[in-house]
Amino acid sequence: MAKESGTLDLQDLEEIRGLEREAEDVITDVAVVGGGTMGRGIAQTIAGKGINVIIVEKDEDNLRRSKEMLEEELDYEIERWALTESDKRAILARIQWSTDLEELDDYRWVIEAITENLQAKQDLFRHLDEICPPEAIFITNTSTLSITEIAAATKREDRVIGMHFINPVPKVPLVEIVRGLKTSDETYEKARKLAERLGKTAVEVYEYPGYVTTRIIVTMLNEAMHILMEGVASADGIDTAMKLGFNFPVGPLTLADQMGLDEVMAWMETLFRELGELKYRPCPLLRKLVRAGHLGKKTGRGFFIYDESGRKIGVAQ
Amino acid sequence: MKVLVLNCGSSSVKYQLIDTDERRSLATGSVSRIGMTGAVLSHRRYDGDEVKLSGEILDHQVAIEYVLSILLSKNHGVLKDRSEIDAVGHRVVHGGEKFTGSVLITPDVLKMIRECIDLAPLHNPHNLRGINACLNLLPGTPQVAVFDTAFHSKMPPYAYIYGIPYVLYKRYSIRRYGFHGTSHFYVSRRAAEILGKPIEELKMATCHLGNGCSIAAVDGGVSVDTSMGFTPLEGLLMGTRCGDLDPAVILHIMGREEIGLGEANTLLNKHSGLLGISGVSSDMRDVEAEAEAGNRRAQLALDVFTYRLRKYIGAYAAAMGGLNAIVFTGGIGENSAIVRSKTCQNLGFLGVEIDEEKNAQTAKQEAVISTDESRVKVLVVPTNEELVIALDTAEIVEKAKQGEETAPVGTS
Repeated sequence: MAKESGTLDLQDLEEIRGLEREAEDVITDVAVVGGGTMGRGIAQTIAGKGINVIIVEKDEDNLRRSKEMLEEELDYEIERWALTESDKRAILARIQWSTDLEELDDYRWVIEAITENLQAKQDLFRHLDEICPPEAIFITNTSTLSITEIAAATKREDRVIGMHFINPVPKVPLVEIVRGLKTSDETYEKARKLAERLGKTAVEVYEYPGYVTTRIIVTMLNEAMHILMEGVASADGIDTAMKLGFNFPVGPLTLADQMGLDEVMAWMETLFRELGELKYRPCPLLRKLVRAGHLGKKTGRGFFIYDESGRKIGVAQ
Repeated sequence: MKVLVLNCGSSSVKYQLIDTDERRSLATGSVSRIGMTGAVLSHRRYDGDEVKLSGEILDHQVAIEYVLSILLSKNHGVLKDRSEIDAVGHRVVHGGEKFTGSVLITPDVLKMIRECIDLAPLHNPHNLRGINACLNLLPGTPQVAVFDTAFHSKMPPYAYIYGIPYVLYKRYSIRRYGFHGTSHFYVSRRAAEILGKPIEELKMATCHLGNGCSIAAVDGGVSVDTSMGFTPLEGLLMGTRCGDLDPAVILHIMGREEIGLGEANTLLNKHSGLLGISGVSSDMRDVEAEAEAGNRRAQLALDVFTYRLRKYIGAYAAAMGGLNAIVFTGGIGENSAIVRSKTCQNLGFLGVEIDEEKNAQTAKQEAVISTDESRVKVLVVPTNEELVIALDTAEIVEKAKQGEETAPVGTS
């Protein structure tokens, strides 16, 4: 304990015994690599629980954009009554920003939330393996890739695990905890504790492409795109049908736009490649939109059209 | 008897060591930000010696370990040995319908407190954590639970039943419980002593105005109605809580703003009240200053606050069939002459007459602020919940020692 005033250092007190217990289990600092939608959501959730977070981005430009986006997102949450100004200040005060991976040399919890690409994730973890202390737990937020393959890039395959958060992370109370073939029980237990600390219900899933949520949802999104392409119903009609018919908070095409059509296509391709079944083949309409650079909400155009602040303003023709 | 009084919140522990024979506080303090980075322990001894430490405090048990350590420390402590603590008294927020008084903690009692978690999911789990920590750290030291709800447990059914299907009361125990019970209990007793009258003969409206605000109708020493309900959200306007509201309003807002339960909950608990109306602050001092400077919304917030309180005083006078005293307590009640004065406006027909000079001079001290002619006495009584908890604890432990009926005192 550091002294602020007075004349006492608690460590000097002979009476204190056994305070070291469980000290290793306590989560006080977490690193999040990647400041995109998922990385920011994860960082916000962690900081909201009183834990310090460092967000690492690849360059100053991305870092600045990520920072601005987070502030905007927090303001939006306040506008939606979900947070207060003091919540926002507390969250921002607990988040540090950096472009230097070397700063993670004393972090025992590292969460990766970079692009959904095996090579990129392997390269990152290979690098982190050299920087971070040997006991550090590496968590990947992948939604379809193999934890075992990602872990193979490191010398700590037992301490690599997947935690698949769902966007918007602060609001969705679920996390899929994914074990690779070599993930140890101890690592799983720690990840479960982290999930609990973050107020998320954990579902344990074994490594298999798409796990539970991604496999079911992107297949459904793909089906909605086929229905649109085949002219069965309009984009609005499809979304309304699923919203009202099955009490979905948003329709499937809006959801695809929110997730990013390039991401949806990447997931479908992984499922198609790994599982080989035709039902996972990305819908040609999806390919066409991605090729044209219409990636959904983030580019202002996907199945629907969006204004600068991301609000839906019409249907794309 | 030396009693350690503990109030365990989600990330804090407030403590006070009280000598119940002398009714004296030996030391007081708090641990905040438990389980977060930068936990802080502030400690103050009876002689004014103060110390503040920051560092990492993992959980309630470690926090209480630190509290014990500092109570025992050579430079800042007041005890030589742990065994000098004769008993521990815990503030427990919700006793549900199970507890109508303070009880000695036994395994059965612990189980029953656990069963009340559904009613106070934000509070009871932390109170339990504190109790468990003390079971580990001070084995053999008797512990007593004092409930925030207990003082209101004698309310008649017509005061606590809501106008919704009765089956929901049976199924989920949904009814008015009321909170701040220990405070209403203390100030009503103390007011009777100050007035020199037996409490059995007095009809009082006790106003606890702090971060949370509630008023109780105390008839003959018994709380017969109170403004907080199933949760502390009902009743008076508070710093950031809305208090009374047409329930349809929230359903309407949820539809219009397309928000869910979580957001609605934050809206009513954190964005409303003085802050929500004034747009200035949740702190009455800021609201008063802004109103003084001509800010109309701050003035409106102040008006809503005092008008609603006055309505409740009138309602409780009607409920009790009379009124002998109005008691103000809590941070706002003890300090704000403006709130007290505005609240008592227009209550002349009941026999309330404020002495504005006395009122203006009173802050944080016991005082009668009505005129000598006033039929209804108006008092300021600083609350002391810790003392009540300590005295209750001492009494119950004393009785248990004498082999009388140990548990659960006053429990139905």
